[in-house]
Amino acid sequence: MSRRNRTRAVRTAQYGVLVLLVVAVALAADWSELRRAFFDAEVAREQFPDVVTTALVNTVVYTVLGFVFGLALGLLLALMRLSPVPPYRWLAVAYIEFFRGVPALLVFIALGFGVPLAFQVSINQYVTVMLALGLVGAAYMAETIRAGIQAVPKGQTEAARSLGMSSSRAMVSIVIPQAFRIVLPPLANELILLTKDSSLVYLLGLSMDQYELAKFGRDALNQHRSLTPILIAGLFYLAITLPLGHLVRRLEARAARAR
Amino acid sequence: MTALAAALVAAATACSSTKTTGGGGSEVQLVDAGKLTTCTHLPYEPFQFRKGKQVVGFDVDLVDLVARDLGVEQKIVDTPFEGIQTGEDLNAGKCDLAAAGMTITPVREKNLDFSRSYFEATQALLVRKGDTYGSLGALKGRKLGVQQSTTGEEYAKKHAKGVETVQFEDLGLLLTAVKTGKVDAGINDNGVLYDYAKKNPDTKVTAEFDTGEQYGLGVRTGNDALRAQIDKTIKKAKRNGRYDALYKKWFGTEPRT
Repeated sequence: MSRRNRTRAVRTAQYGVLVLLVVAVALAADWSELRRAFFDAEVAREQFPDVVTTALVNTVVYTVLGFVFGLALGLLLALMRLSPVPPYRWLAVAYIEFFRGVPALLVFIALGFGVPLAFQVSINQYVTVMLALGLVGAAYMAETIRAGIQAVPKGQTEAARSLGMSSSRAMVSIVIPQAFRIVLPPLANELILLTKDSSLVYLLGLSMDQYELAKFGRDALNQHRSLTPILIAGLFYLAITLPLGHLVRRLEARAARAR
Repeated sequence: MTALAAALVAAATACSSTKTTGGGGSEVQLVDAGKLTTCTHLPYEPFQFRKGKQVVGFDVDLVDLVARDLGVEQKIVDTPFEGIQTGEDLNAGKCDLAAAGMTITPVREKNLDFSRSYFEATQALLVRKGDTYGSLGALKGRKLGVQQSTTGEEYAKKHAKGVETVQFEDLGLLLTAVKTGKVDAGINDNGVLYDYAKKNPDTKVTAEFDTGEQYGLGVRTGNDALRAQIDKTIKKAKRNGRYDALYKKWFGTEPRT
């Protein structure tokens, strides 16, 4: 067999296995049960419009709050990480390693109880969400931004300095804007991750107008004893994350062209 | 850094603690102005569960009476049960009181202060219609579903030797697991299991374990003003027939005396 024929034969076998797997799973599944559980039209109808006006809106609001705070803190951490002052570097490394290494679930529980206990104040729900999601996101974004800053050619800083800019001015006006162009795709990726992490907000305790998609779906599951709301919530997550994924690919393509 | 500063400012301004004069004359402090905020864990039918766009149930109605006596509205926050029974929700100022079909236990009493008892309960066993497990002993080698952090879980841990316990986060998941056969039986308070079996004829309650439990509403340790107000409201409701009416509304029978 020639090499090309062999490749073709192997590929055909792969397709065959794939089709067999799909058929086997499809035949083994109890479709009437699945249809009853996941595609209950009446339950589905009952989820509207709240799943959009409350759950989807809250998911977006929580995510944006967390992302904005995380981005600001992440930038600060990235600069500290690259700072010539050793204590700043140590602090940044300690922060990043800690929050990157601890599950977001634990951060949410610890923050939801810890901050009010420590300072004896009850914190606004949105502030808590912003802090919890932002603290976790910042650790990842700091590393992304640091890589972006380091990817800006050294010549840029040197040229800026030789024009008489101070090193901080050169960083703010010359390096950071270019770094952000580089890190836009991974940052959009981080936004997708945060969208999904916002499902942990339920750990903080929510009143019904504060439900986000995941909590909304689980609550409706309990109310109707039907898995349909879970499917609907999942679809709405996709409605957020698929356009973001598309955006990431466009940004990457543009970055590739610019190079 | 500005974002952090803004967050701190917002946190500081969001902190609010207001005083409402209750019927008793002593000052009741509420975490949220003009609202009696209740922590609960949904669903726990018929004590608290969602119906349409509202949270309803026996506990909800009872706390409404307290709120009315305080001249405020009730606001309900749904939160994981471990935060309720450890008292941390109350300590963290998430809510003024906890109403979650919660049994008064010595351990919980260390974490929070309970009102006088407002309901009597025992543990019970729910199985599918065709099954006959009538005791924990009969479940040897089988799967028993328990709800996280509940007295039922504690009871099962102590008495269900040789039974594999499977833990669920809330009652809804536990009941669904029994119904779909993911577990062979489920243990929980009799009130909720009888209610479920009534609405789901393919399940039944086969046993009650005489645990003699009392439900109480929880307040933050040392919040005597609110606790006194709750006790007063419960006492009044039991006297003027409101309590019996609520009992009948949610359980379909008169309370045992």
